[in-house]
Amino acid sequence: MELIRVEEVSFAYLPGKLVLDRVTLRFDHRSTAIIGQNGAGKTTLVKLMKGLLKPFDGEILIGDLSVKKVTAASLAKRIGLVFQNPNDQIFKGNVLEEVMFGLLNIGVEREEARVRAIRALEMVELEGKRDMNPHDLSLSQKKLVSIAAVVAMDPEIIIFDEPTIAQDHAGKERIKEIIRYLDEKGKMVMTIIHDMDFVAECFERTVVMNRGRVLLDGPTREVFSREEVLKEAYLELPTVAQLSKRLGLSETFLTPKEFIAHLEGRIKG
Amino acid sequence: MKSISLYVDRQSFLHRIDPISKIYYIVAAILVPILYPSLTVAFAVMVISLILLFLGKVIRQTLSVYGFVFLVLITVLIIQTLFYPGNETPVYRIGQVVLYREGFFYALTISFRVINIVTSFLILVFTTRSADLVESLVRKGLSPRFGYVIASVFQIVPEMMSAMGRITDAQRSRGMETEGKLSVRMKAFLPLIGPVVLSSLLNVKERALALEVRGFNAKGKKTFLNEEKNFLAPTAVQWSLLAVILIAIIWRIIQ
Repeated sequence: MELIRVEEVSFAYLPGKLVLDRVTLRFDHRSTAIIGQNGAGKTTLVKLMKGLLKPFDGEILIGDLSVKKVTAASLAKRIGLVFQNPNDQIFKGNVLEEVMFGLLNIGVEREEARVRAIRALEMVELEGKRDMNPHDLSLSQKKLVSIAAVVAMDPEIIIFDEPTIAQDHAGKERIKEIIRYLDEKGKMVMTIIHDMDFVAECFERTVVMNRGRVLLDGPTREVFSREEVLKEAYLELPTVAQLSKRLGLSETFLTPKEFIAHLEGRIKG
Repeated sequence: MKSISLYVDRQSFLHRIDPISKIYYIVAAILVPILYPSLTVAFAVMVISLILLFLGKVIRQTLSVYGFVFLVLITVLIIQTLFYPGNETPVYRIGQVVLYREGFFYALTISFRVINIVTSFLILVFTTRSADLVESLVRKGLSPRFGYVIASVFQIVPEMMSAMGRITDAQRSRGMETEGKLSVRMKAFLPLIGPVVLSSLLNVKERALALEVRGFNAKGKKTFLNEEKNFLAPTAVQWSLLAVILIAIIWRIIQ
């Protein structure tokens, strides 16, 4: 089922300098990573889908709703965006109120908002910090609060902007679990990201953007098997895929687990 | 990121005059008409300033500023022409409303002075890079710390505007309506203040630490990043302007 349709969309911040050039994409429930070097147009595309920017050419439909005709706020129930820098999206003096902020904005009753906020905080394992000032948390915890704030609103589509930035190993693992959990719950999870290992491990589909255009689009394994095209977009393979290539293996591995299983199979067999 | 600098990049002799000389000109353009309180002198200074703007090829950019200034000055002109306490000589009558000569000339004097102040500052801001201005002032002995404060305003204000954009986007994406009627926008503005001020304060702290670790407060002579620029006859221009100011002061004392 199609959740988002991006139809021949073009956008420019300055006249004559296209950031997106006739981009056409369809998004279904598969978890999707959008990758590309800085300036490729990833963030702009996501802002357009969220209604924060309006395309000057083309059309974006969330379900059957054109983003041109509605405000970003009215799309909040359907599509959530976790910003790259959590400091930009902390508005309240305590963690619980911060998570409730969006719920109250979309008209959820106070008590229900509270229950949903606590549930979201439990998901990110920050329930014990609910009375703290969000600014007293570590950057990694602030990021988790901002994820909880969006997840609590229960949108059908959740977009993560650089979820792994400023995360240590434990933080990355936590975010991986959250993404998998949301995926299992039937949410459409999308990310824009530079961390190829994370993409390989968590996302079914990968879209490669370069200079405002879609360069590659397909299942993640297929995309990472096209090393020469990725080079064109100045992108590297995930570490495990690089290692297997160096060892002369023809298969594209996405996780260390797969790679080890393959090696074990070869040793045994 | 948008810049708040009003500098207009052109090839003109005015762009080649050093910033300190332009500051001398501002002092002269403000002081001379005050020391020599004649409409003719004020008008002459105003004409000179406008000619300078024209020669600096930036006259078009000043129009929006003058649009606002004229709006204020027309109000002054109407009020003074009607209600100036020294009004004695009626020059025009529209029904019950009487326009007076004294009030008109008083308003004209104020207007010329205001235009002189605005125009002389416009010469500086439209034809001088903020970095050149700060560097010239520091070379003349201004504290580098104060120089940094001036220079950072040009950087921090656009950064704050950009932060406001990001925070507004975050609010909109969490269902807070910020578009549409004025009342909706006003309502959205208040929650914006907290995060913007807080993020600015955090930035200030980080910036102060970054300056400290890079030796900003180190004692001793500092080296300038750029070679001192060669401007058009700075000494001659400055001495000439100083002479004009002195002549006006002497004239005032003698009178």
